[in-house]
Amino acid sequence: MAEPLWGRLSLRSFGKTNFTVPDEGSGRAPFLALRVFSRRLLSLVPVQSRNEQGPVVPDVDAQEYSPELRGLIGTLKAIRHRILANTLLLGWTKWSVWVLIGLIALALAESRLGGGLLFVAILALLGAAAILVWTWQNRPSAYDAARQLDSAADLKDRTSTAIYLGVVKDHDGMIEEQRRDALSRVAKVDARGLFPLRWPGNLRGALVLVLLAAGLFAYRVHHKAPLVSLLQTTARSRLVQSILAPIVHEVEKDLQRTMALVTMKPDAIGDETRRGDSVAGDEDLWKGSDDKAAEAKDNQQDAAEAGDLPQDQLQAPGDQDTPPSGDANQEESNSQSQEGKNSDNSNGKSQQSEQQGAENRQSLGQSLMQALKNMMSNSPNQQTNNRANQQPPNGQGTPQSGNSHQPGTTESDKRGESRGNSDAKQKATQTASEGAGSQQGNKELRKDQDAHPVNAVPDRVALEASGFKEQTRMNVATETGTAQLASRDQSLQGDAVVNGAEQENIPARYRLYVQRYFEHADNGTH
Amino acid sequence: MTSSVGTEGQMGSQPLGQQAESLAEKMGEVRREISKLIVGQTEVVDGVLIALLAGGHVLLEGAPGLGKTMLVRTLAQAVAQKYSRIQFTPDLMPADVIGTSVVQENGDGRKSLGFQPGPIFTNLLLADEINRATPKTQSALLEAMQEKQVTVAHTSHLLEEPFFVMATQNPLEMEGTYPLPEAQLDRFLFKLRVPYPGREDLHDILDRTTQGSAATVRPVVNGPQILEMRRIVRTVPVAPHVQEYVVKLTLATHPESRENLLASKYIRYGSSPRGAQTLILGGKVRALLDGRYNVSLEDIRALLLSSLRHRIILNFEAQADGRTADDLLEEIAGKISPN
Repeated sequence: MAEPLWGRLSLRSFGKTNFTVPDEGSGRAPFLALRVFSRRLLSLVPVQSRNEQGPVVPDVDAQEYSPELRGLIGTLKAIRHRILANTLLLGWTKWSVWVLIGLIALALAESRLGGGLLFVAILALLGAAAILVWTWQNRPSAYDAARQLDSAADLKDRTSTAIYLGVVKDHDGMIEEQRRDALSRVAKVDARGLFPLRWPGNLRGALVLVLLAAGLFAYRVHHKAPLVSLLQTTARSRLVQSILAPIVHEVEKDLQRTMALVTMKPDAIGDETRRGDSVAGDEDLWKGSDDKAAEAKDNQQDAAEAGDLPQDQLQAPGDQDTPPSGDANQEESNSQSQEGKNSDNSNGKSQQSEQQGAENRQSLGQSLMQALKNMMSNSPNQQTNNRANQQPPNGQGTPQSGNSHQPGTTESDKRGESRGNSDAKQKATQTASEGAGSQQGNKELRKDQDAHPVNAVPDRVALEASGFKEQTRMNVATETGTAQLASRDQSLQGDAVVNGAEQENIPARYRLYVQRYFEHADNGTH
Repeated sequence: MTSSVGTEGQMGSQPLGQQAESLAEKMGEVRREISKLIVGQTEVVDGVLIALLAGGHVLLEGAPGLGKTMLVRTLAQAVAQKYSRIQFTPDLMPADVIGTSVVQENGDGRKSLGFQPGPIFTNLLLADEINRATPKTQSALLEAMQEKQVTVAHTSHLLEEPFFVMATQNPLEMEGTYPLPEAQLDRFLFKLRVPYPGREDLHDILDRTTQGSAATVRPVVNGPQILEMRRIVRTVPVAPHVQEYVVKLTLATHPESRENLLASKYIRYGSSPRGAQTLILGGKVRALLDGRYNVSLEDIRALLLSSLRHRIILNFEAQADGRTADDLLEEIAGKISPN
């Protein structure tokens, strides 16, 4: 014990990694350099830091051990081989289980097996090679094998201590005694019998998977992938179709809405996106009128026969040039509109706006007609509901509905007022439930609207938007007289907005507002 | 009686292997002699013998009447060494332990101060009920236990080898006791718990002590042989994985240990390096007594509690949770793999 054992049993040291190419002149030089590098890299892997991994006794060459220990070294070598083989078998079996699971999944789901099989085969080979390399790198040293032998044979660390001291040349009496003691104990033990070659524990599972995979691939020779067939059969079944149909319908609707949003103007997209569901409700509102056209038509006829609705509401919007009989205020309104058109002519834009107005009237006429039909189709239910909440007519409520949403221009003020009056007269003839808008009546109407969406927006929009069509004018007094000049600060908003304008002419950010306004107005009128 | 005790150079002339075998035989004889008077308590007896050969001291803890004092006295007889006993009491002063300078008159009538050695100048010292003395008196043992010398009036006096202190103490929860300071606790190689005897042992104790005359103990080994045994013990090799296991165990008792959350939760101060030394040295003695020439992991595990239980100081949380040093150490050892 003259010298510390750790000092003599030096660990493998990290040498400088030299990447010099052995034969630079030949074409094999890069490969040789790579081989040298890989060898050095592999030789460095087993070296562990004592601080982190504990003591590591290097796998010393058998020739360096004491001659007395040769027999023990031979026994340990056999044990090492068996440990290595068992570890390798276990690793490969585990890996093969995963590969087989992959193969089974492939056979179940993949319609074309060729590419998948090739991929799995390459993966399996790579994994097996990696396991082989890893196992070899972590193969037990003689010292590790001795420790395992000590543990298996209850030798109380005799052989591991003997192996550790086996390379000590100048050993004293105690080491010799220890070595003798260890050898005598090992001789009494069937060391190789303690480390048999064992089949891995999961071998049965792997064999079952092999059989399953073989059966599946035999099936696949003449058949399609079972999982695909099963899915197709299931998809055709009525039960699945009944479950999937509403979902598919919803998805299609969402897709349409998304497409509509994408095709909208860039400035409108932001507004529509912000509003979210309300936008969808808007579009449903417009589309709903088309969908319910037939039903609305029938309802309109019924209503006309019953005489519940006034004649002016039954009239098409395109015929508004001809004022309905007995409505003086409406005539006034139209005459003012004519005056406005004349003033447009004086600005040089009247022809263009008239042409656009004519086109719009044609297209808007159809949509307004449709909207009227829809409104009439809703009216019987609303009237039925309103009868329960009848209130005395209130004259103050009607002008409020006309004036509260007026555009800011002077001309518009006039028109809005006149329109409000006309509305008042019309509504006064209809039902007694309109007026100041009692809370009770409104609540009932909202309930009713939930069941029957309001479809009367287009015609209302046209009426409301007509106030924007002209420029604001100012009276300017000069020496020669007074003249009306157009204000440059005011932009023309109503070029295309004449009676019966389409909803597209309303800025997107105002559509929801306008719709809500008319919903409110409907609550008051019906 | 002394004929059975070997001569001073007898063991040293033999080969080391034979000396080791002789050591094991001698210790077996000592065990048998002790068992004449001490019934059962095999672990305590083994612990005391291991500590004697490892060159350490032992703290015996147990209730009164369990044979602690009897064990020390019997051992002193078996190893044929001088034996002193100090009964520690609250009014015991350090000078009563280590000695003091007194005025002495020589032959021609001159008077001078001379050192009067205390009872500590012996080979086997029994410090009975050490925790009943004040800390000041307890600390008087510190230098003697570690340095094997005492200093009085700037003069150091060496103690005779082998010097072996066996202190006994009652459990700390008993009234009128002063817990030993940590520094002094660390000086003890082992802290051995003396358990109550079992049914058969109790019958045996009653038979031996209440009938006829008490058995006599013959000396088996002497002082020089014990010192030679101590030298042999240190030649026993330790495999690196065994030493690594000791290091892991010691580090695992440190509250700063990142690997062991148990220590950081319940331990205020972990084991000092003396704890690791104790494990290795004790393992060596145990291996020799077991007829082996190498330390095994089993030796380390067997000595873990007696070596470390007094070196770790538990925190308040451990006391609140009712955890003891023993069960914490066992749990720590269970979590540490020797591989």
